[in-house]
Amino acid sequence: MKRAWKIYKILTIQNLKRLMEYKIDFLTGAISFLIDQAVGIGFIFIIFSQIPNLAGFTFEQIVFIYGFSLIPKGIDHLLTDNLWSVGYFIVRKGDFDKYLTRPINPLFHVIAENFQLDAIGELLVGIVLVCSVAGTVGMVVTPLSILLFIIVIPFSSLIYTSIKMGTAAIAFWTKQSGQITQVFYMANEFAKYPTTIYNQFIRTIITYVVPFAFTGYYPAMYLLTGENPLFNIGGTVIISIILFIIAYTIWCKGLNAYESAGS
Amino acid sequence: MHKVKKLYFPFTRAGIQELLAYRMNFLCFFFGELFYCFVMYYVWKAVFESSGSGTFMDFSMNDMVVYLFISNVTGFITSSNVCEQVGDEIKDGSISMRLIKPVNCNLSYLFKELGQLVVLLTLIFVPMVLGVEIYRYCVNGFIMFNIVNFLLYLLSASFAYLISFYLNLCFGFMAFFVKNLWGFNILKKSLIKFLSGAVIPLAFMPNIIKQILELMPFASLSYTPVMIYMGKYDTQQIVFNILLQLFWLMFFYVLSKLIWKKAIKYLCVQGG
Amino acid sequence: MIYAEHLRKEFKKVIKEPGLKGSIKALFKPHKEIVVAAEDISFHVPKGEILGFIGPNGAGKSTVIKMLTGILTPTSGECRINGKIPQNDRKNYVKEIGVVFGQRTQLWWDLPLVETYSVLKEIYEVSDEKFKERMAFLNEVLELEPFIKSPVRTLSLGQRMRADIAASMLHSPKVLFLDEPTIGLDVVVKDNIRQAIMKINKEEQTTVILTTHDISDIELLCDRIVMIDKGKNVYDGSLRELKANYGQMRELNFEANPSSKLTPEKFKSKLKLTDDDLSVECDKNIYKVRFNSAVMPVGEMLSYTLSQANIKDISIKDADVEEIIRRLYKQGVNTGA
Repeated sequence: MKRAWKIYKILTIQNLKRLMEYKIDFLTGAISFLIDQAVGIGFIFIIFSQIPNLAGFTFEQIVFIYGFSLIPKGIDHLLTDNLWSVGYFIVRKGDFDKYLTRPINPLFHVIAENFQLDAIGELLVGIVLVCSVAGTVGMVVTPLSILLFIIVIPFSSLIYTSIKMGTAAIAFWTKQSGQITQVFYMANEFAKYPTTIYNQFIRTIITYVVPFAFTGYYPAMYLLTGENPLFNIGGTVIISIILFIIAYTIWCKGLNAYESAGS
Repeated sequence: MHKVKKLYFPFTRAGIQELLAYRMNFLCFFFGELFYCFVMYYVWKAVFESSGSGTFMDFSMNDMVVYLFISNVTGFITSSNVCEQVGDEIKDGSISMRLIKPVNCNLSYLFKELGQLVVLLTLIFVPMVLGVEIYRYCVNGFIMFNIVNFLLYLLSASFAYLISFYLNLCFGFMAFFVKNLWGFNILKKSLIKFLSGAVIPLAFMPNIIKQILELMPFASLSYTPVMIYMGKYDTQQIVFNILLQLFWLMFFYVLSKLIWKKAIKYLCVQGG
Repeated sequence: MIYAEHLRKEFKKVIKEPGLKGSIKALFKPHKEIVVAAEDISFHVPKGEILGFIGPNGAGKSTVIKMLTGILTPTSGECRINGKIPQNDRKNYVKEIGVVFGQRTQLWWDLPLVETYSVLKEIYEVSDEKFKERMAFLNEVLELEPFIKSPVRTLSLGQRMRADIAASMLHSPKVLFLDEPTIGLDVVVKDNIRQAIMKINKEEQTTVILTTHDISDIELLCDRIVMIDKGKNVYDGSLRELKANYGQMRELNFEANPSSKLTPEKFKSKLKLTDDDLSVECDKNIYKVRFNSAVMPVGEMLSYTLSQANIKDISIKDADVEEIIRRLYKQGVNTGA
């Protein structure tokens, strides 16, 4: 554990140093993620300029859910962005060989290699949104709810990580799977709004199959209403752990099927 | 014309083959976009249910569905990845392979993309339009498809594609001067997504912003053709906007030529 | 030390027919085929030996190396290194081996070299004390000092190879796998690398398995060679023995002046050699003569050639691995393991 931390630290510091070399790239990246999210908020603004509430939710509540959903997304983006590369080119080019000849967990190794500070754009927007409406939205603030808030965030992030990991691992069989990751990842759009606006089929999918609802709406609902902690928070924890186990199993099976590249 | 066909069709063929080779890629990418449409569909549905009235800023739910899916598919087929391609070729130096061939460099990119466009049109565009029209028919009980509008849409969309191509070409040539294009690309994409009305129809923007954005080249990329498709523009507006598209097309065409001339000189100086 | 028993590896490969039609067909119904990269490979390597693992392109060398290093899982068969099966306990196993793939680096592209080593130090759990000692040793053998502070992307190919070998030796592995360690390097750098490999092997009794296309790598380094072709063993023994049997072939290239009116038949007729020992090809006036130097010494051949025609340009070459394998097949001999 201590060793893992040390390795992580060295690589991350190096990553940050490299970032300084490509300052403009980093800035434009971060700004564009920020713009993307700002446009999303502008959209909500325009809607609410015409209607008083959306499916029973006030403007503040929608902003809270939207903002909350960006936090786990940003954290996952910050820490595990290299999983995209696995699906897009590390496996295809045979560069995964390197990770298999090292005496540490290849998954950890891959993840530790990249620290994607661009994610700051999303993360900041998310935090600012949540904080700005936290006072007016009628959030239930108790020591317990604060504690659960802190606990649930990493599990929500784990849902993102697991979906990326499980789909990236498909590349071990098919050489390239970045686009499959892309499809699943895009489903996170559903997490930004209350799941009650979707039909039953989509609701089931985003709750139990590609459970992005647990990265936004459900945990945010607990914080908003204090209701149903067992499902809203407990569900997030359990679903994320189950999903991680499934994804990690696929990953490990993939390692055995890895075919390298060339002859 | 025959000569052009002979010279450039190999590029078209290569484009088709490349796209098919990565069949999973583009299908998946398309499904990802479709997800986005469905999210927006449900959001709008909720908006209309909550608003109680049948229209939202002059758009009916019906209009909204058409706008969402048609603007998305228009954005999809008129998007050009020539920027990334040129950028990559400049970076790894393989652009010189294009320079030594006896063909017009820009045209060879264009014909390659046209090949991919053929695939996208048959596999994505046609089913999408059919789907939207069937939806409209089911909801309204009569066929709303207007052939004149559709033909004008095709014309406007073709201009949109060419504008997008030359705009992206200009961006791609920046790789001659800028070390790393990656960040710019992402920024470009999110800006275009916003400015072209892909997320929020420009009609919903505050009046001044709307008027400015409608004149900018980004509106020409998908907003103009979609508004024509939906029959939201009268004849005068159609003429004006298509002329505007032509203006932007000329603008970026000339700009790309200018940059290219400069870049070639730069290339010679660098000896690369 | 190293036991490979009947290793076999199959890959699935999507076959695409050429042309536009093929592309469309592959879109709907990809055609898959099984490719056997390694069919049946067996060999043993005792501790401290340098083994040359050779064969033509596509023979399955890299596949075997990747199975031995635990990257690929064999379809069937087994390998055991130090009593460990690579795939069973990968993490502990790889601590005992070092791997260098000549065509790709395992160093961090953007990090200064010295930082790469400090990451590897943690990854391989090398103690501070041991690390210092290792760095001093590797520095001496591989001369890393001049570029140790530079980012890896700025290193020359030769420097990068030295740095890669050092990276694979940091944790004092018992076995070192080198896949084409001299590929693309010039003669001086090649020699440098060979010296280093020899030194490492001598001083630390590291067992080395190396694949190469360069026959001089093998001549200078290897105690023994295992040759494979089409996924099967074709030879196992010393290089000297192999060369004595099949490697005496030389290739003589020359251009005859048209005025000398030389023909391949004429050239051949005066030499009373069998077809196995002599072959002559001729394109216009450029001749390519393959002959067995054990039957006809090089000097004799040269003076004979000069006496036959007015020669514009002449050169003589050693037999390469491909040529030796060709001979091996022709004679249908299998010395085998």
